[in-house]
Amino acid sequence: MPPPLSHRLLSGAVVGAVLLSALPQRSFVGWSGAVATAMWAPLWPITSLLAIVRDRVRAPDEPHPGLPGALRQSLEDRDRVQGELDAARLRVRQLEAELGEIAAYRPAHDAGWRPLAATVVARSAGRPPGLFAIDAGSDQGVQPGDPVVVGGNRLLGIVAAGGAGDRSLVVPLDDRRAGRIDAIAQPSAPAGAPIPAGVFVQLVPAGNGRLVGELESEATVRPGDPVLLSDAAWKPSAQGMRVGVVERVGKLDANPLRTRIDVRMETEPARVGRVIVKVAAGQGARP
Amino acid sequence: MRWWIFAPAMALALSLDMTVMQVLSINGCAPRLWPTLLAFVAMYASRASALGAALVTGLWLDAAHPALAATGVVPVAVPVFGPHALSCLAGAWAILELRVILYRRNTFTVALAAGTCAAASAVAFVAVAGLRAAYADPAPMWGAGSGAAAIGADLLSALYTALVALLPARWLHASLGAWDFATAGPRFAPGARVGRDP
Repeated sequence: MPPPLSHRLLSGAVVGAVLLSALPQRSFVGWSGAVATAMWAPLWPITSLLAIVRDRVRAPDEPHPGLPGALRQSLEDRDRVQGELDAARLRVRQLEAELGEIAAYRPAHDAGWRPLAATVVARSAGRPPGLFAIDAGSDQGVQPGDPVVVGGNRLLGIVAAGGAGDRSLVVPLDDRRAGRIDAIAQPSAPAGAPIPAGVFVQLVPAGNGRLVGELESEATVRPGDPVLLSDAAWKPSAQGMRVGVVERVGKLDANPLRTRIDVRMETEPARVGRVIVKVAAGQGARP
Repeated sequence: MRWWIFAPAMALALSLDMTVMQVLSINGCAPRLWPTLLAFVAMYASRASALGAALVTGLWLDAAHPALAATGVVPVAVPVFGPHALSCLAGAWAILELRVILYRRNTFTVALAAGTCAAASAVAFVAVAGLRAAYADPAPMWGAGSGAAAIGADLLSALYTALVALLPARWLHASLGAWDFATAGPRFAPGARVGRDP
């Protein structure tokens, strides 16, 4: 006797799932995003409401907790200006190096951006927390590669391609799918002393809010020093933003001539409720 | 099993997992509700319905968990269908095999089954993602860290899920009659003998 139709359907579905699991990612480009959006579309309203409930129950990890609103705003403004200053310093150094060479033409620096506030409405379900969704998308001018910050200058992640008109997916810096990050460890200097040159370091995301990198042993990096993004692959508005602070400095067991540094992000991506997307100034909201 | 009850219930569970359940996270380890619901279904529904429910749950999770292709400067989010579907099948299958030796009408049993379902699906997911990482994905789908670390984190989450499942398990048991399960009718009520002539 042939098996019931439901069993046949089930067997076919299982085989289909196995085949889909074996396909490379490029096979999903172009259709799986639309299917996923359609599958989750009925859940967005309730997910957005529940996100509000979540933020009420457990307050998001604010950059300056316990301070009055006006003072917190002032501190955020200060950090934002500090971020711009860090970015300008990096740019000046880069220009000085280029002036010494004048080897090739580089397009004009365009760091024009505008802040766009967004709410975290969903995080990846079922797996260790990784990327998260915000309620701003291409309709509001958000583009893939836009940096996402909190507290004025604390870099949190990057907007991934594949979002929807009113939703975007953000990859946190500590997720290794965000890729390697070129950064500058800025050694601290006493007040009044000239600011020492930064130390280049390539960071690898290590998860749980941490990134690790290697540098030359004679570099004078100490725990507590800020680490600033200086990666040509990122948009200009992300340059100079704080990746985190140096948490630990130690010798590499495999190579004592080199130093390993652990960098800890200053904001926990899993506990952020509101973020700022640095949208390119020319990208207006779509009517 | 009444699918029109299962679908909204699982949708609500997944929505809660993505939002409110993060409130309970401890050091990045958050409990989840979908294993509880799937384990509950797998304990009472027919084999085909339980596996079908696992497939639906897995596909929904796949839709909510994009893999990231690191081919360009900007990561590209591409939902990959299949890995979670297979992992949920593994979780449901584990409960289907265990349910004959479980005393099902007990809240603790459902909580234990939820933890088992979550753990089995976690191991299966990392196995599938590990296989994919060998040839298809530029970075493993589980995110940062090694596969062993991912399994360890997921097993802790499964334990946490089992603890938290005690409360929803009570509610699910209270609603048992509404689900119209194949193995939860009057014939399976306490005191009734299976196969006895009426």
